[in-house]
Amino acid sequence: MAMEQQAAPSSAPVALVQETAALWSQCLGVEVKAEDDFFALGGNSLTGIKIIERIFEDHGVQLSVRDFYLAGTPARIAGLIEQGRAGT
Amino acid sequence: MRLTPGPPREIDLDGVDLFDLDLYTEGDPHPVWDAMRERAPLHHQVLPDGREFWSVTRFEDVCRVLGDHREFTSERGTVPTHLGTDDVAAGVLLTSTDPPRHTEVRRPLGAKLTARAVKSWEDSIRRTIVRFLAPALDGEPFDLAEQALLLPALVTGPLLGIPEKDWAELVQLTAMVTAPSDPHFRTGSEAATLAIAHHELVTYVREWVLSRRKSGFEDDSLLHHLMNVRPGGAPLTDEEIALDGYSILLGANVTTPHTVSGTVHALMERPEQFDKAQADPTLIPNLVEEGLRWTSAACNFMRYAVDDVEIAGGTIPARGAVVAWIGSANRDASRFPDPHTFDITRANAKRQVAFGFGPHFCIGAPLARLTLRVFFEELLQHFGSIEPAGEPQHLRSYFIAGMTHLPITAQKRRTP
Repeated sequence: MAMEQQAAPSSAPVALVQETAALWSQCLGVEVKAEDDFFALGGNSLTGIKIIERIFEDHGVQLSVRDFYLAGTPARIAGLIEQGRAGT
Repeated sequence: MRLTPGPPREIDLDGVDLFDLDLYTEGDPHPVWDAMRERAPLHHQVLPDGREFWSVTRFEDVCRVLGDHREFTSERGTVPTHLGTDDVAAGVLLTSTDPPRHTEVRRPLGAKLTARAVKSWEDSIRRTIVRFLAPALDGEPFDLAEQALLLPALVTGPLLGIPEKDWAELVQLTAMVTAPSDPHFRTGSEAATLAIAHHELVTYVREWVLSRRKSGFEDDSLLHHLMNVRPGGAPLTDEEIALDGYSILLGANVTTPHTVSGTVHALMERPEQFDKAQADPTLIPNLVEEGLRWTSAACNFMRYAVDDVEIAGGTIPARGAVVAWIGSANRDASRFPDPHTFDITRANAKRQVAFGFGPHFCIGAPLARLTLRVFFEELLQHFGSIEPAGEPQHLRSYFIAGMTHLPITAQKRRTP
């Protein structure tokens, strides 16, 4: 089992990072900044399910469950979305 | 955790940390619980992060907390891993629901799991167990605890309606839920491990249901049954099906293996008990009850006080969390004389509360009892002796008392 934190690229466009933070904020009901931690914000698997579904609807990118929770911040998630869009 | 307590030691109950994972991995919690039952039957602990909880450890207090939902609700969560965070699945997930809704949903599910209903599975369970034990009989070291993690899947897979190819993954995920800090199961942080496992398990059941609806395929499986029950006149919502399916998977997977390993370990340490059971197989049902009492795999459950409540000579304030230590209740000397003696002829072993007590009593208990009885019938029938082949390794969890490794070597029985 992989123990290391996923090294998600943080090179996503600022707009995408902000959009991701806004989505989190909507699902979690709290204010969210780019580097906030999902669990510290009160995130759990039921909110995670919603967010992953929304990302698929909005961007056509299916994030892996493990990548999502190990990434942990809007900035890193935006990086994963960017990566998914590029098809890499 | 050690099931046979080590030498007596001084216990400072003000300094004790019941959530210290090292206590369960390397340490010896029984002397701590002995001291709590004796000197602090209502114990209060504040964690470094400010969260606090009360503990009850005596048999009667544990039964009261688990048994009375009016005083102690399940609707804010029942697992101490989530202490301080109200359960998001409250009122939906059966284990986090109080009567009367709980009773309404539980009744039709329980009907599929009565002793009479599971009896029809005995022959197939026996064939599975014979196959499971066969590799241990070649005289080579066999890691019983590691192998046993798969046993419930082998036994209950067909009953639940889950194909064999999915079980290894599901076993890994359920283990992550019960021991998110154990190095065998941890993925990233403890919170990430829990969330990944919850997410994958709930999604698995959701997709199982979707594909069943699509194909229109029907069978006698328990998950399919969840789709058809109409508690209170209406079918379960998809969310209820997903969460209860998750809960059934979890219940099936995470306790029976540790009862198997813990009981075999106890027999290995006490060859005279092994010989006694072998000489008189009618003792096996009681051996199973004593094994359940001894191992108490579900070590505790949590409730929240609804109002201020007087218990065990103290008061739990309204909204306070209380942990009912099942592992301690099952070693309460006022119920079980010489509680730290493993005795397969113990007269009242069946009064153990390893399956819990009250409305949330384990719904799978008849199936677990059947599986354990068949397991020990086959073990004693085919094994002449069992020896340790290395040190056991204990699960890093304060919620499930179990082992991750128990290497054994077995000799075939010569004259069965």
